[in-house]
Amino acid sequence: MNQPGRLHPISIAIREAADIFGRMGFGIAYGPELEDDWHNFTALNVPEDHPARDMQDTFWVKDKPGSVLRTHATSVTMRKLEEMAKTGITEMRCINPGKIFRNEATDMTHEAQFYQLDGFAIGPTGSVTLAHLKGTFEKFYREYFGPDAKVRFRPSFFGFTEPSVETDVWFEVPGKEGRWLETAGAGMLHPNVLRNAGLDPEKFQGFAFGGGLERLMMIKYGIPDIRLFHTGDIRFNYAFDELRRQGVGAPTEASGKPI
Amino acid sequence: MKVSRNWLQKYFDTPLPSTEALSEALTFHAFEIEEATEDMLDVKVLPNRAADCLSHRGIARELSAILNLSLASDPLREALQGSTLFPNSKVVPNSKVEPCNALRVEIEDPKKCSRYMGALVRGVKVRPSPDWLREALEAVGQRSINNIVDATNYVMLNIGQPLHAFDAAKLIQKEGKYAIGVRSAKEGEKVTTLSGEEYALTPNIQLITDAHADTPIALAGVKGGEAAELTGETTDIIVESANFDGTTTRRAAQALKLFTDASLRFQNRPSPDLCAYGMREVLALITEIAGPVKGEAPRGAGVEVVAVVDEYPTRPAQDGEVSVTLTKVNGVLGAGFSQEEVEDVFRRLGLPAVCESQTFTVTPPFERTDLTIPEDLVEEVGRIVGYDKIPAAELSPLGGMPDQARYRGIEKMKDQLAVQGFTEVSTQSFAKKGDIVLANPLDKNMPALRVSLDENMEAAMERATYVAPLVLAPHERPRLFEIGTVFPKEGERLAIKTSEPVSDVLEIKDELGYAPMRYELGAYQPFSVYPFITRDIAFWADDGFTKSIIGENAGTLLVRSDQFDRFEKEGRISYAFRLVFQSMERTLTDEEVNGVMEKISAALAAKGYEVR
Repeated sequence: MNQPGRLHPISIAIREAADIFGRMGFGIAYGPELEDDWHNFTALNVPEDHPARDMQDTFWVKDKPGSVLRTHATSVTMRKLEEMAKTGITEMRCINPGKIFRNEATDMTHEAQFYQLDGFAIGPTGSVTLAHLKGTFEKFYREYFGPDAKVRFRPSFFGFTEPSVETDVWFEVPGKEGRWLETAGAGMLHPNVLRNAGLDPEKFQGFAFGGGLERLMMIKYGIPDIRLFHTGDIRFNYAFDELRRQGVGAPTEASGKPI
Repeated sequence: MKVSRNWLQKYFDTPLPSTEALSEALTFHAFEIEEATEDMLDVKVLPNRAADCLSHRGIARELSAILNLSLASDPLREALQGSTLFPNSKVVPNSKVEPCNALRVEIEDPKKCSRYMGALVRGVKVRPSPDWLREALEAVGQRSINNIVDATNYVMLNIGQPLHAFDAAKLIQKEGKYAIGVRSAKEGEKVTTLSGEEYALTPNIQLITDAHADTPIALAGVKGGEAAELTGETTDIIVESANFDGTTTRRAAQALKLFTDASLRFQNRPSPDLCAYGMREVLALITEIAGPVKGEAPRGAGVEVVAVVDEYPTRPAQDGEVSVTLTKVNGVLGAGFSQEEVEDVFRRLGLPAVCESQTFTVTPPFERTDLTIPEDLVEEVGRIVGYDKIPAAELSPLGGMPDQARYRGIEKMKDQLAVQGFTEVSTQSFAKKGDIVLANPLDKNMPALRVSLDENMEAAMERATYVAPLVLAPHERPRLFEIGTVFPKEGERLAIKTSEPVSDVLEIKDELGYAPMRYELGAYQPFSVYPFITRDIAFWADDGFTKSIIGENAGTLLVRSDQFDRFEKEGRISYAFRLVFQSMERTLTDEEVNGVMEKISAALAAKGYEVR
C-alpha cells in the first residue's frame, strides 16, 4: 500500500489562502484561461493601443482576433462584477486563484505561465476603502507568513484601479534579517471598470489586488527558481517536509529520510 | 529615467538631501527607484506620469511636493512671451523673426503629428559643448556629441520635449525658403539614420522630409537621418520641436526595433503645448553656447533666430477642471484627512485649486495629462500625504457563507486521489499540437494549447519512475494525477488525469461543506540535478543494531536510505537496505560509491555483522 500522495505545493497554498480569505467573507471564483479581449483588457480600462496588448506581453490566438490567454486573473473579477450587476447583489468578495500567461522570456523569477492570487471586495460606496485593503492584506499576510509580517503601500499604476498601489510585505526568516518584499499590485477599482460591468460607480466602491502565487511561496519556503513549479517533476512535491496534515487521516511519519 | 541630483538642485534654492533620502521620498510618494548612486537616481516613472515626469523638471516638481520645498524656478510656468513665435522674447536676444518667410512646414496627417514647430537659426558654430553641459549629460549616462545636439538632448532631459536639429545647408531652398514635410513613408522607402544604419520603411512609419526634394531627413519621433546631419562646417540649422502621435511612434519604434529617448517620450503622449517651451529653451541655449567664443570672429551676424514656424493644426480640447469632495477623498482612502491637509497637497504639487464647501476644484496645468477624474485627485492626496497615513481597517462581516463550492469540489477530488497514493503534478499548458494554436508562441515547438493531459502525464510518469528511488520507498511505485485546464475545440474545461485507472468516478462536483485537508510544509530543500546511484546492502546483525551506523559511515553523498527487508533466523536478524547516493555538484562514479559501500561494510564487519 502506498503512502498518501503529495499534493502540489500550489494546491496547498491555495488552500491556505482560501481558508484565511474565507474567514474574511471571500468566496472563490474561477474563469476561463482562454479569455476574450473585453474581460482581459477593454473592460478593465486597458485601452485599445496600450503596450500591454503588444505581442511581446500577451499570447494571442491564431486566426481568432480578440482571443487571448488571460494575462491576469483580474478577468475573473470582471466576470464576477458583471454577475453582480445582473443579479443585483450589492456586496461581493472573492479570490480568484488561477493560471495566467505572459509572453516573456523565462528566468529564475519569470515564467510564461504561473498562478496568480487575484481578488476583490466591493460594496456600497464608503464600505470598502483603501484602509480595508490594508487591513485585509495585514490579516492575510500575518496568517500566511507569520505574526511579524507588516504591510506597506507604494504608489503604482494599473489601468483598472485608481488609486493604485504596490504592496510590500515585511518578512522575517528565523535567524536572518527581515526584509521588504514586493508581493502584489492593488488599488481601488477604477470607475470605468465598474461602469463597464454595469455597476454605478456612484453607488459602488471596491478594491482589487493580484500577485504571483509562486512568488509568495518562494518567499515563504525559500524556493530559488519559479521554473521548478510546473515541470511535472515529483521531486518538487517531495522537496518539502510535510510537517502536519489536518483533516481526513492522521499525520504520518515521514519515511525514507536520510538517517 | 536617469536623473542627476546636481541637475535637480538647479530647481531649488535650498540644498537637496542625499540621493538616498531622495530615493526614499520618491519610492513612497511617486516612483520606484531602480538604482541610486551618489549623484544619480534611475527613476522608474509610472506610465500615467510619463507625459510629464520623463524630465528633471517633472521629478523636481514631485520632490518639491513630497519634501515641501518650493521650486526656485519652473520653466513651464514662465509665460511664453508674445506668441509662440517669440518675436520679443528676451531669451532669444538676436532674433529678427519674420514669420514664415524663411521656413515652411507641411503636415500630411494632423492625427499623426499634432504640432510642428520649426526654427531656422543662422550663424552657429558646431563644436564641443561647454564643460557644464557635457558633465550634465554624462552624469545621466548620455554621450556628449557637440554643442547643438547636446543642447537638444539637454532640453529634452530637462523638460521632456524631444528636439532635433538639421543642417539647413543640406536641404533645398526655393525662393529663399526651406520646407519641412511630415508624411507617411512609402513602401520600401529607405532612410539611413545618424548612426549609419539603413532602414527599409513601410507606410505606417512617419517621416520628416525635405519637402522641396521630397526626401527623408528623419524618422519622425524616433531618430534623425544622416542626410541632414550636423558637421563642423554647419552654420545654419533647422530646429524641430514637434508632437508626434503616441501609438504611431510606438509602433514605428517597434517595427524598426529602434527605441530612443524621443520615441519613449512621444509614446507617452506629452502635451503638444510642451513644444513651445521646448523651442524657447533650446533656442536660448543654442544662442548662448553656439555663438562665437572670446576672440573668435562670428559667423555672419552671430547666432540669429531667423524664423520660427508653428504649425499647430489640431489643438487638443482643454480638459478643464476636475472636482472632488473631501467626503470622496476620505471615503475612497478610508482616511480622515482635513480640508487643510488636502489643500496643502494641491498647493505643494503646484495644482491650482479652489475649495468651496469642502469641494476641491483643480485646474490641472497642461503637462498633467493624467488628471481627469476625481479618483485621480484622490490618488494625489493619498500618495503625497503618504499611504503610511492610511489606517488598516477590517472589512465588516458579510451575512451568509462565502461561495467556495467549486473550490471545495476540486479540492475534494485531489484529496480523494492523494489518499490513494497519487501525487499531484502541474505541467505546462502549451503543446506540440492542439485545436487552439497561438499566433505568437514563446517556443515554436510548442505552438498549441493542450487538448488533454495525456502527453504531459506520460512524460511526468517516465521521469517519476526514474526518480522514484529518491522520493519513494522501495515497495512503492509512483502514481500521479493532474487536474488542469485543457483546450479542445469544443471549449476549455478542467480535466482530471491519473497515471493508472482508479475506481472513483473522476468528476468534479460543487461541494458546500467539504473541508479540504490542510498541510503545513517545511522549508524547501533543493534537490540535485545530477544522476543518482542506488545500492542495496544486506547483512546479519543482532539486537544492538541501529541504522545510524550506516548514516555515520556513508558521508554526505547518501541522500536516502530505506529498510526494505528484515527477518529473524536462529537468533540473528537479517536487514536489507536500499541506499541512494547523489551529489549536488557533479555526477557520481561507480568507483566513488563502491568506496562508500566498502566503508559501510567495513564498519558493519567491525561490529561483527556479516554482510551478505
